[in-house]
Amino acid sequence: MDTFLSPLLLYGACALGGAGVALALPKQKAAPFVFGAILAAAAFGLVMVLLGVASVRAMSGSGDASGGQGAAATARLVWDALPNYHFYIFSAIALGSALRVITHQRPIYSALWFILTIVSSCGLYLILQAEFMAFALVIVYGGAILITYLFVIMLATEAPTEESVEAMNVYDRVSREPVIATFAGFLVLAVLTTMLAGGAKRLELNPAFVATDAPLALMPARVEKVLREAGVMEEGERLARMPSASSRKGEPVDLRTSVAADGRPGGELRIVASDGKTVRVLPLAQWPEELRLSNTERVAMELIERNPASIEIAAVVLLMAMLGAVVLARKKVEMDEMAKAQAAARAREGGELSGGLGSAAAFVPPSVGGNT
Amino acid sequence: MIDTTFGAALTLGQFTLGQFTLGQGDLPAPMSGITLYHYLFTASTMFVLGLIGFLTRRNLIVMFLSTELMFQAAGIALIAFGRFHMNQTGDAFVIFVLTVAAAEAALALALIVLLFRRKETLDGQAWASMKG
Repeated sequence: MDTFLSPLLLYGACALGGAGVALALPKQKAAPFVFGAILAAAAFGLVMVLLGVASVRAMSGSGDASGGQGAAATARLVWDALPNYHFYIFSAIALGSALRVITHQRPIYSALWFILTIVSSCGLYLILQAEFMAFALVIVYGGAILITYLFVIMLATEAPTEESVEAMNVYDRVSREPVIATFAGFLVLAVLTTMLAGGAKRLELNPAFVATDAPLALMPARVEKVLREAGVMEEGERLARMPSASSRKGEPVDLRTSVAADGRPGGELRIVASDGKTVRVLPLAQWPEELRLSNTERVAMELIERNPASIEIAAVVLLMAMLGAVVLARKKVEMDEMAKAQAAARAREGGELSGGLGSAAAFVPPSVGGNT
Repeated sequence: MIDTTFGAALTLGQFTLGQFTLGQGDLPAPMSGITLYHYLFTASTMFVLGLIGFLTRRNLIVMFLSTELMFQAAGIALIAFGRFHMNQTGDAFVIFVLTVAAAEAALALALIVLLFRRKETLDGQAWASMKG
């Protein structure tokens, strides 16, 4: 198997999807959104079916050879690959709502569809075992950023009159160069996906990158507490610490890694008995379940142990953004004369379109010493 | 040791599907057969959709929503790579992506309100006079 997916099929799917997206983008005439969306969904479904077939094939290629080559073995493989449907569902929802974000003519609905994209991305994060980031994403994106967007959408719209509630601005109804932009974008996508398809690796088959328990060595108190509660450690026993006391992090647990019988790397805990001399070894297989590090703990170790400066930099970025937003928002702005005339013209135009009178002229803010 | 944490606990049917076996050690079933490429395909498609949205839409707010789509795509790719390498570096990067997205939303939306007050329109082409 040279590449994961055939480049020709990928190019075809990209062409089909590009045509669909180009059709679905808002246009002067009534945009055939439904037709475009069906085309794009067909392209997406084609790629997803190809991916599913390829993953079943990959499993059969590297799975146990003892299964035989009969139809029963094939059915078993397909059955084993079935639980992957979570990925396909979340991916379909994420990309479908992303399409709606860029094609919807009303910005407020675009923002709401974007929330759906966020939530389904969180589903993908959960499948990838990144629980902390999934919930952080919901809180920060769904809870904070999107609310800011909604506020701004409400702040920055011309106050509608009774008649012009349904009227949409021309810049929402017509997109700029949809065909060229879609062509360029999907050319990028086609090249990117065919390039990536050459190196598709299964997420699970990578013995070089097995999660280690190394962070446990840095939390001896936690390990001792868990072991005592599980009844593995008796009263008076203590964990063996690393022999070199020169470490700046105190005395880490003696957590020597070894290779378990099944070939996977595993750890060993050394427990010193109450007489202070005898040492017994607790192999990985006998570790209590509670000793496992959760994803949140791993992220915390990654951030605070390994990249402590990153948190500081993120804090500075946020502080600067907050200061900048305050400075920008306090600035009094005067509408320039040309823009006033244009706004009035737009209001007349919009009024004619919607049969009512736009109220942009009544919305000029009181100008107190602006900078022009 | 690969920990099966909340994400695995959330997945349906990993132990209930009859004779279903966990393939690799104690990995949760939904990872079986899924490759890094699946996630990279989703991420790149979402990125390109955001790119197209940024290029074609004229409403400033929708343009910035499209950049958020691109951030989101980058986040999915980072988390997938982090899972692939079995470390948490991807998560740390996504925290940064979130920070930048929040900062960008605060600043860009303040700017949009400012621009809207000056021209009474959200049309990006109303500022075409800036192109020298």
